Amino acid sequence: MTLFDTTQLSLEAAMRGSSLRQTLLTDNLANVNTPGYQRKDVDFHAALAAAQRTGETAESVSFNPRADASRTVRADGSGIDADQESAELAKNALEYEALVSVAGTRTSILQIAMGVR
Amino acid sequence: MGLFDAIDVAGSGLAAERLRMDVTAGNLANAQTTQGANGQPYRRREVVLQEAQGGQSFGSILASASSSPVNGVQVAGIVEDPSASRRVYDPGHPDADAQGYVSLPNVNPVTEMVDLISASRSFEANVTAMQTAKQLFTKTLELLR
Repeated sequence: MTLFDTTQLSLEAAMRGSSLRQTLLTDNLANVNTPGYQRKDVDFHAALAAAQRTGETAESVSFNPRADASRTVRADGSGIDADQESAELAKNALEYEALVSVAGTRTSILQIAMGVR
Repeated sequence: MGLFDAIDVAGSGLAAERLRMDVTAGNLANAQTTQGANGQPYRRREVVLQEAQGGQSFGSILASASSSPVNGVQVAGIVEDPSASRRVYDPGHPDADAQGYVSLPNVNPVTEMVDLISASRSFEANVTAMQTAKQLFTKTLELLR
């Protein structure tokens, strides 16, 4: 019996994935005017879901960012649509905040159980 | 790897967009310059951006080893626009040739203004990304309270 259950560890893995995604989306926005740039993203939901199906522990899940060479939205070969990236960035930030809130609440429940508070 | 990466990346974007604004402003300022550094009319300059390759620092090598492909953006160079100069008939101009034509820079103010707006909007997008990263980091720190 460990102190942190599967849910807590999954939440932490999701935070790890979400913060990686945040960095990738920021990278996309920074490269909005780079000719021929390929947009990068990571599907951490799918990686986590696959890990949960196979029974892999959430801590050992690794997230593999990949570049999307398939789409070009601008004449200079850039694959970045600034509006879309901004929207994804806002969504991902909200998701991260939600994860942090839930993880924080669960930790404080543990703290109350231990009599720290 | 962490949220600080996001701030660094957005910072590289801010630097790149600011340089674009500077170069565009230089083009506008020199729109009538008939004598550039080489004695020829000024030629319009343009910033070429590329995905940052990551330097030789320990941090960047460590980052590439941990399979994080995030480097931000960097300036590949500032190139001169090879298009032809504008020829304007103005025999009174000191730089007019034998036929009375003056070669003016290949700067079109409309193009420059559009570039300026594009750089300014991209700058704002990077500011927003940086603010979001900062906000997320603050939120994470609140876990420690």
